[in-house]
Amino acid sequence: MAYASEQAQEKRRGFLDPRTKLMLVLLLAVFVLGGLGGSTLKPVKTVLSALPFALLLIEGKTGRFLRGMIMLGIGYGMLAAVGVLPGVLRHIALMCGGILTRFVVTVMMGEYLISSTSVSEFIAGMERMHMPQAVIIPMSVMFRLFPAIGAEWTSVRRAMRMRGIHLGGAKAGQVIEYQLVPMMTSTVRIGEELSASALSRGLAAPVRRTNVCRIGFRIQDYILLAGGVVTVVLWVMELCGVKLW
Amino acid sequence: MNGKDLINIGIYGAIYFVIMMAVAMLGMIPIFLPLLAVIVPILGGIPFMLFLTRVKKPGMIFILTMIMGVMMLLTGMGPWPLLTCALAGLGAELCMKSGNYQDAKKAVLSYGIFSMWIFGNYLPLFTDYEGYFAQRADYGQAYIDAVSRLMPLWMAPVLLIACFVCGIIGGLIGRKLLKKHFEKAGLA
Repeated sequence: MAYASEQAQEKRRGFLDPRTKLMLVLLLAVFVLGGLGGSTLKPVKTVLSALPFALLLIEGKTGRFLRGMIMLGIGYGMLAAVGVLPGVLRHIALMCGGILTRFVVTVMMGEYLISSTSVSEFIAGMERMHMPQAVIIPMSVMFRLFPAIGAEWTSVRRAMRMRGIHLGGAKAGQVIEYQLVPMMTSTVRIGEELSASALSRGLAAPVRRTNVCRIGFRIQDYILLAGGVVTVVLWVMELCGVKLW
Repeated sequence: MNGKDLINIGIYGAIYFVIMMAVAMLGMIPIFLPLLAVIVPILGGIPFMLFLTRVKKPGMIFILTMIMGVMMLLTGMGPWPLLTCALAGLGAELCMKSGNYQDAKKAVLSYGIFSMWIFGNYLPLFTDYEGYFAQRADYGQAYIDAVSRLMPLWMAPVLLIACFVCGIIGGLIGRKLLKKHFEKAGLA
């Protein structure tokens, strides 16, 4: 028998399994942002860098997609301008471009993970990976709080700006005190409400929780997981000195 | 340790991580790279000292530190922070435990020890010098020159000590703000 809530969950089911998303984040962090691997992995890295943008489009997050594309465009623009810029500016452009093109991709992947995964899905995925409670609970709380902290910080900054407390307008000590303290106070309050709500729904109860989210690997997950394995194999082969192309 | 403790680890871990990441973006400018060992411990002291007022049971500090290590892995800092996190987390935990989780002075010292995990982010620069720059070749020669000038080998112990000392300073600042703001707000 299928419950209405289960059917609703099936409709809301994301394109990818949360475990696949985690693997992609790790791959991008290690190979694209960390810069591991040499020339053999260049084409793989290009594919990896395109992934978060494709995924954002598939999930219909056009706003985030466009923002990422603009940032990436600025990065590549800087790299393209290296040839014509004089002296010091040229080094700065090269550095900023190099850093920007790497970071934007990884940040987009992180944004995709957070914006397309509900906390329940995240917990379900972690449980399927047999993580202990001591990892699942703090990680899922952090997962839930990141966007909240961002929003709080933006509004605190805006409020303090109105009183002239911002970088360049006031002493650094003041900026830190009057921006960080309110941000932390409201985050802690949000966190406490969150914890009350989570506890009342049996998080950290000594029994096994059921989860209404439907997760599991489908064809797209298997393709990406296989791609991940191929990436690691290619990297190991490169380490062993095998030249492919 | 119960569910509430684990949730608290998540809350303070998230705040610490966001503050750290916001500051760490500065590290892309070469001159700020060594300075991160000063700025991160000082700013991180505020959430961490607030966290320590919630810590009453063994294990919480260690779990928070290990989660920072995992987050570093996920944000592309490589596996070294996991090692330094394990050591620093254990040290901070034992220090706090020796004060029965109530001693205010030990809390500051504990944050100093905790802060030394940051050194793990610098380790690849010193252990695998060529590999580190090979991975960053596309930042341009000027970047590589600037960073290698700023980071000779003798910087390694200096950075480690800077993390610890600035951790103590950050802890003291955190305590001061705790008294000034958070106690009034009923949070500490």
